[in-house]
Amino acid sequence: MTESLRVARLIWFVTWFNVKMLLTSEFFILTTFLSPIIFATLAFFLFRAGSNTSGQTLLYVALGAGMMGVWSTTLFGCGGAIAWQRWEGTLELLVNAPSRYDYILVGQTFGAVTLGFYGIGATIVWGMLLFGMPLEATFPWLLPFGLAAAVLSLGSLGMLIATTFVLYRHANALGNLLEYPIWLIAGLLVPVATLPFWVQPISWLLAPTWGMEAIRGSATASDPPFFAIGMCLVLAVVYYVLARIILVYVLNKARRDATLALQ
Amino acid sequence: MTSSLSTPARPAIEATDLVRTYRTHTGVIRRHRLDVEAVKGISFAVEPGELFGLLGPNGAGKTTTIKMLITLLLPTSGTATVMGLDVVRDTTEVRKRIGYVFGGDRGLYDRVSGLDNLRYFAELYGVDPAEQSRRIGALLELVGLTGREREKVEGYSRGMRQRLHIARGLLHDPDVLFLDEPSLGLDPVGARELRRTIQSLVEAGKTVLLTTHYMFEADALCDRIAVINGGKIVALGTGADLKNAVVNRTIIEIETFGVTAGTVQRLRDDPDVIAVNTEERDQSEILLVQSEHGPQITQRLLAAIGDTRVGKVVAREPTLEDAYVHLIATTGETDGAARAASVS
Repeated sequence: MTESLRVARLIWFVTWFNVKMLLTSEFFILTTFLSPIIFATLAFFLFRAGSNTSGQTLLYVALGAGMMGVWSTTLFGCGGAIAWQRWEGTLELLVNAPSRYDYILVGQTFGAVTLGFYGIGATIVWGMLLFGMPLEATFPWLLPFGLAAAVLSLGSLGMLIATTFVLYRHANALGNLLEYPIWLIAGLLVPVATLPFWVQPISWLLAPTWGMEAIRGSATASDPPFFAIGMCLVLAVVYYVLARIILVYVLNKARRDATLALQ
Repeated sequence: MTSSLSTPARPAIEATDLVRTYRTHTGVIRRHRLDVEAVKGISFAVEPGELFGLLGPNGAGKTTTIKMLITLLLPTSGTATVMGLDVVRDTTEVRKRIGYVFGGDRGLYDRVSGLDNLRYFAELYGVDPAEQSRRIGALLELVGLTGREREKVEGYSRGMRQRLHIARGLLHDPDVLFLDEPSLGLDPVGARELRRTIQSLVEAGKTVLLTTHYMFEADALCDRIAVINGGKIVALGTGADLKNAVVNRTIIEIETFGVTAGTVQRLRDDPDVIAVNTEERDQSEILLVQSEHGPQITQRLLAAIGDTRVGKVVAREPTLEDAYVHLIATTGETDGAARAASVS
C-alpha cells in the first residue's frame, strides 16, 4: 500500500470510528439532531410574527438554523471530543501513536462536521413539512459544491480549534464561549451586512460566514456564489496550514510541560 | 530497519543521566514557581530479550522515567535510546518499535467494543490491513478475550480491561514493551494470568520494562531489577543481588495489637536493631524487625514492647521485599518526587 493510500485509509478509518463514538453520546445526539430543528422552529415563528413568510425567506431561515447546528456540532465534535479523550486517557495514546497526529485530527474533525451537516437537511425538511416552505433553489447544481466547500472550511476551522484543546485542559470553556457569538457574527441569524461595520471584518475571517454564504447563495441568491465557495476553500487551506504549524508547537509543549495526562 | 538494529551489543533501552524537572505554581494572587525534580539523573541499560524491573514507592519517578522512554515527555537533561534510536530526536521511529501499557482503568474507548478498540489502534499503529484480523485474533487468544471481543468495554472487568490494554500494546508487534504497573487493581487470579502473559512475551523474544509495587512479582518475573527512590536508582541487580544486601540479617516478625509509635521508636533505638517497619493488618500491626543478631534478641525486643499485647512471633530469612524495604528506608525521601508525580 502506498503512503498516500495508507494516509487516506487512516483518515477514513478515524472518521468512521469517531462518528461511531459520537453517536454513542446522548449529548452529541441532542446537539446534532434536535437543536437545529429547535433553532429553525424558533426562527420560523419569529419571522412569521414579522409577517415575513415568503418562500425564499423561510429557506434563508432554515439554512441559517441548520448552520447554527453545524457550528455547535463542530465545536462539540472537534474540541469537546478532545476533552473527552483527555478524560478517558486516550489522548496520550493518540498523540503518541506512530501515525501523524494531524491526520488523526483531520479524521476526527471531518467526522464531526460531516455529521453536523445533517442539520441543514433536517431544518429544510422540517420547514417544508410544518411551515409549507417551498424548496426552490436558484442554483441547485451549485448546492453540492457549496456544501462541500462549507464542510472543508468548517472542518479545517474545527481542526484549528482542536489544537488548543490538546494543549489546554480547560479549553472547553473557550469552546462554549465561541458558540453563540459566531451564530451572530457569521450571519447565521441575520445578514452580515446588518451588523456594525467593525464586526464585519471579523465575519470575513470565519468559515461559517462563507460556508453560509455559499449554501444560501446557491439556494436563494440571484448571482452564483462563486466568491463565497472560493473563500471557503482559501480559508480551509489557511486554517489547515495554521493548525499544522500550531500543532507542532502544541505537541512539543505538551511533551515539555507534561499536560496530556492532566484532566 | 536501521543498521543500528543489527548491532548485537547495543542495549534495547539505554538511559544516561536522565533528569526530569516539573514546573508547577502555587498560590492564586501571588504565584510562586516551583521546580520539582522527579527524576534526578538515572542511568541503566536493558539488554534485548531481557525483562527488566523498575521498583519503587509512589512518586519515586518510575512513571516519569517510562514516559520519557516512550517519547511522551521530554527529558530536562540526559539522553535515552530505544533500539538505538534517540527518544527526543527519532520519536516516530521509536514509537513504531515500542508498545506500552499503563495500569488502571483509563486509556480505552469504553462505549465501543474491545474489537473496535483494537481495530482503531491497529490503524493508528500502521498495522498492515491484510494482517489486522489475524493479528487481532491471535492477540485476543493470547490475552484470553476470545469470545468477549464484541462486548462494550464499559462492561469489562478490570482484569479484562488490563488484558485488552496489553493486546493493544502488542498490536504492531513491538520490539520493546513498557508495562507500568500492569497488575494494578487486579485480583490474584487475574494478576497470575497477567504474569503468565508477560512471561510468554519474554519467551517470544520481546524486551520488557516492567514497573510494579509487588516484590514477589518482580522476583518471579524480572531478570534484573532497579530500585528507584526519590528519583534516583538506589540499587540495581538480580533479585539475588538485592537480597544479598540483607542476607546476613534475620527478620523477626512480631504480631502486636495496639502498638504505639513510642514503642516502635524504643525498638528502633536498640543498638542491635537495624530497621523496624510496620504492616497494618485487620486487627493487628506486624512489626518487621531487621537484625544481624538473629532470634537471640527476641526476648529483649519483647521486653521493650512492654505491656502491648503480642500475638505470633516468627524469625525468618529475609525476602526481596525486606531488601526493598531496607533500600527504600535507607535511601532518602520521596516527597519531592511524589509531588512531581501528582502533576505528571
